[in-house]
Amino acid sequence: MTLYVIALTLIILGVMGMPLFAIILAVAMTGFYFQGIDLSVIAIEIYRLADTPLLMALPLFTLAGYIMAESRTSQRLVNLTEAFLGWVPGGLGIVSLFTCAIFTAFTGASGVTIVALGALLYPALKNTSYGKNFSLGLVTTSGSLGLLLPPSVPLVLYGIIAQQLNLGVEIKISDLFLAGLLPGLLMIVLLALWSLWSIRGRPIPRASFSGKKALASLREAFWEIPLPFFVLFGVYGGFLAISEAAAVTAIYVIVVEVFIYKEVKISQLAAIIQKSMVVCGGILLIIGVSLASTNYLIDAEIPMRLFTLIQAHVHNKYVFLILLNVLLLILGAILDIFSALVIMVPLILPVAVGYGIDPVHLGIIFLANMQIGYLTPPVGMNLFISSYRFQLPVAEIYRATIPFMLVLLLALVAITYWPDLSLVFLNR
Amino acid sequence: MGKADQQASGYHRIQLFLRRVEDSLLVALVLMIIGMAVTQILLRNVFDTGIFWGDVMVRILVLWIGMVGAMVASRKGEHISIDILSRYLSLRYQKLVSSLVEFVTFLICSVTAYYSVKLVIGEFEYGENAFAGVPFWLCEAIIPFAFSVIALRYFLLSIHNFTRINKIAS
Repeated sequence: MTLYVIALTLIILGVMGMPLFAIILAVAMTGFYFQGIDLSVIAIEIYRLADTPLLMALPLFTLAGYIMAESRTSQRLVNLTEAFLGWVPGGLGIVSLFTCAIFTAFTGASGVTIVALGALLYPALKNTSYGKNFSLGLVTTSGSLGLLLPPSVPLVLYGIIAQQLNLGVEIKISDLFLAGLLPGLLMIVLLALWSLWSIRGRPIPRASFSGKKALASLREAFWEIPLPFFVLFGVYGGFLAISEAAAVTAIYVIVVEVFIYKEVKISQLAAIIQKSMVVCGGILLIIGVSLASTNYLIDAEIPMRLFTLIQAHVHNKYVFLILLNVLLLILGAILDIFSALVIMVPLILPVAVGYGIDPVHLGIIFLANMQIGYLTPPVGMNLFISSYRFQLPVAEIYRATIPFMLVLLLALVAITYWPDLSLVFLNR
Repeated sequence: MGKADQQASGYHRIQLFLRRVEDSLLVALVLMIIGMAVTQILLRNVFDTGIFWGDVMVRILVLWIGMVGAMVASRKGEHISIDILSRYLSLRYQKLVSSLVEFVTFLICSVTAYYSVKLVIGEFEYGENAFAGVPFWLCEAIIPFAFSVIALRYFLLSIHNFTRINKIAS
């Protein structure tokens, strides 16, 4: 009885806007208290932040993303993709999708893609056959496109949480990176086809390919182009652990943007570090306290009980997956992606493994849902960022974005029910 | 200038000073972690050697970055939360709700701080080193410290919002 009252109180406090770390702490405290365990265990669990080598990737990839967002990387990326893909029929739409996906993979779906790239792409898109409404939808959707592509931070975080659960299955971050490739590409390709379909019968915007322009854009982005390649080469060549790849990325980006392009001044660097680490601090704190609550959940065998409970009603893996998608889409709209990961993965992953779903595949399903959650009315975050950035009413953004959301839902169905799309590159 | 004003500006100055210390510490920790990580990679891949306590230090730095970052995030109560309710409330009720929620956060952080102090004291008596002569208790000390600061800040936020309730005409 007391437990139910506490649980209800915490849920109400949560909806009232109490910081998530405090709620998770309260859950852990209540749990350990009723098990008669000294609450110092919570500090011990938080200290485990220092026992997880992979976690270093989080602040360092975030920092690299923030620095790139502050420099003119976005402009160079647009020039580059435009020069090389602009000649394709419907070019600019496709250029936008690719650029945003790559940019989001590096900067995280924090909304910075809409703010930095959207501002460049939207005015250009609007003046083509795509028109205002379509362009708005495309830019809003692109804000979370690329979440499945390496080295996206949410993918790394999923891997870290999954590893804490000791499921007896190996879950490597490098496997998650490989698994995200095709599903991420599928989303881009489907959206590109939808873009082409939407302008059928109208003059197709295309530019002619210019070797001179291509060369100029290549030269311009000379220092940034190698970045994705040496991250991938370092990791899959066995030279770098993921966390080390993050360190190399951070130092490389600092050197390139501060000393070569000189777009970020040394005096600005401190402010950027501070800004990015405040965000990271919030996330690391939630991870730390959730190590404690997860430990309690496992101790109390709650995922097992949950599995038994669900299995009594849902006998079929595919029905489970449908229900999972519905749940995650709702959560993705309400919670931000990092909180959703630390709260839901410890509960859902053991259940999913019970149904015979591969943990790597589940990670891709999870993040694909979260990506769509960003666009789900009425509270998806991208909708508000877009409304704020382009100074338009949210209702207009809803209307513009819904068709894109439907296309992504189609991709989600494929990702969920076709495991090989995610697992084809892995030896499983 | 009245005495109260002088006190207020003194309080303000202390706060400003503490903020500078936090900000500089955060930047220093990040530069240290990048420096150490890159040094280790170079030593291993080029010279086939390494600093044997380097990896431990880097991992502890992650904890410190997280804790100091979390302290800074609590200055304006910028921690991640689910905010569905507040946009449907009047300004007056928003203040009331924030004040309440911040007070509970203060309580929870205080309890956490108390129990982490217990852990640090225990570790101090045990007296083992984490790396390169740095004792474990010192590495852990950031946890109670951060939670105390976060608790204090949420307490101040709560009081601040509470005093605003009646100033807003309903």
